[in-house]
Amino acid sequence: MKLLIVEDELALKESLIEYLSASGYLCESATDFNEAVEKIELFDYDCIVLDIMLPGGSGLQILQYLKDNKKTDGVIIVSAKNALEDKINGIALGADDYLTKPFHLSELSVRIAAIIRRKQFNGQSVLQYDFFSIDTIAKSVKVNNRLLDLTQKEYQLLLFFIINKNRVLSKNAIAQHLWGDDMDYADNYDFLYTHIKNLRKKIIAVGGDDCIKSMYREGYKMMLS
Amino acid sequence: MKLFAKYNRINITVTIFTFVLGSVAFYFVLNYVLTRQLKETLRSEQFEIIHYVEQHNSLPEIQNTRHQWVTIEKSTAVLAKPRFNDINIYNEKEKETEPVEQLLFTVKVSGEYFLITVNKSKAETEDLLQLIILVTIGMIALILLLNFLINRNVIHRLWQPFYLSINRVKEYHLNNRQSLHLPKENTDEFNLLNESLNAMTQSIHQDYQALKAFTENASHEMQTPLAVIRSKTEMLLQQQNVSEEAMKQIMGIEEGIQKLSRLHQSLLLLTKIENTHFTFDEKVALGTLLLQKIEEKKELFESKHLTVIQDIQFITLPFHQQLAEILINNLLSNTIRYTPENGVVNIELDKEKLIVRNTATENSLDVEKIFQRFYKAQQNQEGTGLGLAIVKEIGKMAGFDVQYLFHNNYHIFTIYFKQ
Repeated sequence: MKLLIVEDELALKESLIEYLSASGYLCESATDFNEAVEKIELFDYDCIVLDIMLPGGSGLQILQYLKDNKKTDGVIIVSAKNALEDKINGIALGADDYLTKPFHLSELSVRIAAIIRRKQFNGQSVLQYDFFSIDTIAKSVKVNNRLLDLTQKEYQLLLFFIINKNRVLSKNAIAQHLWGDDMDYADNYDFLYTHIKNLRKKIIAVGGDDCIKSMYREGYKMMLS
Repeated sequence: MKLFAKYNRINITVTIFTFVLGSVAFYFVLNYVLTRQLKETLRSEQFEIIHYVEQHNSLPEIQNTRHQWVTIEKSTAVLAKPRFNDINIYNEKEKETEPVEQLLFTVKVSGEYFLITVNKSKAETEDLLQLIILVTIGMIALILLLNFLINRNVIHRLWQPFYLSINRVKEYHLNNRQSLHLPKENTDEFNLLNESLNAMTQSIHQDYQALKAFTENASHEMQTPLAVIRSKTEMLLQQQNVSEEAMKQIMGIEEGIQKLSRLHQSLLLLTKIENTHFTFDEKVALGTLLLQKIEEKKELFESKHLTVIQDIQFITLPFHQQLAEILINNLLSNTIRYTPENGVVNIELDKEKLIVRNTATENSLDVEKIFQRFYKAQQNQEGTGLGLAIVKEIGKMAGFDVQYLFHNNYHIFTIYFKQ
């Protein structure tokens, strides 16, 4: 899987490359408009992580370029602008998703995975991760061929863990993934613990490993091979 | 009092005063001239009689008229000088007393003295005088009336540009994307006013735009470093053998980032709502949306053991989809955040209003301040203090009336869709 990361903030670009490379993606990067256009002309990417405000031009122009040249690269916009119309403009110009800075790397990773899944869907919707097999269309999960009975939130949670397997995910990042940006009950993560506890129980009940490790209740990690 | 009414009051007083003074003066002058003319007539009569006596040494035959007559009587006394006399005589024919001017003098005919009185009625003179006064008063009245009519109609038209400008200024909001463009006027004063207002709003508008751009840019510029910090803390978490202490510290940083970021987003959103001309013509299924949002936040309600009582009708109204989502999100988040544990939340929606009611820990919130930015009833609260300001602002833009009430230990937020 090949990604192009278009981001002019070097420190951020570095983190992105490091995190996404460790997730098994082949990452290339561009720091300004011209470099980005050059790379897009030469290569096809599975997904482009695109900053809107770039030296030398706007990310929206790159979207326009992709559209004009009938390129099918997936695009996720990462922008400091949460501006309502920027979001709409971006989606209208063919971006697949939009993420507002500051985002969690784990969240970006899940979104990229979703975009690639949509783009490369070749009649096969079942993903295999260790002992989990996930049907992303039916939104069902099987462990050792036994169906895992999950609520919608639990399914979302499991997918988030699996995509970010072997990573420490902060409770904050998990809560935000599940309940969105206005989740701000910092002193009360009980409902999150409950969800994770239930998920672990269900996995064990169908014969899976207890693969979700708590890190001092501040973060969690799913250990998969 | 209007400026013109003030001016008019002075103007009319002076005009009436002048006319009265002028009329009085006119009366006396006219009276003087006419009396002199009368005396002149009497004198020429006297000369004619004296002349006749000198030539013929006898008294003339005199033809008396109704208005002028001569009486002659023998006299012993001799008048040194002719004498004028002003008397009133009762006129038998016209049955009224009329003023008469007399000239008395003596002539000597054949050694005998005769006292001759020439009488002339002043009635004609009086009539003339009266007529002239009447005409003058009529003129004054006419002038005043014309003045009044002209003022009422013309003045209103003359001031029209002034009122137009004032109305434009009243309707002007800084949030409008344009500065005030008042037209050029023919009247110098109004032109000066318009030009000055144009120049003033132009410069205010520019400063305001610059300030807005600054706010927006500043908020944006801060998001990128925040993104760097967040990505670095996430990378830190991935290190082998992170201690519990380090983990807690990192979470502290993470929460700080979260708050700062949300604060920026809210501020940006507020500026955005104020500065963008949203059109509220999308059909938004508010009932469905509300239920969906309540469902999304189910766990959050449950985690605080809140009882949610709903009475929601599936209404659709012209609104803006995203703003509707933000509005409902903010209202619900606010409710979850401030309702005490085991409290009750009541949500009602019909085609006229949306009511969100929740049990309170404290007394009423400050009705004046509750929708202000950064208002927090207690300083240590978690929220940004912008949520309700955003609700109010969206309501304002959409033409809704957003109200807060405290009743029976309940905080009640009501949005009336039609005002």
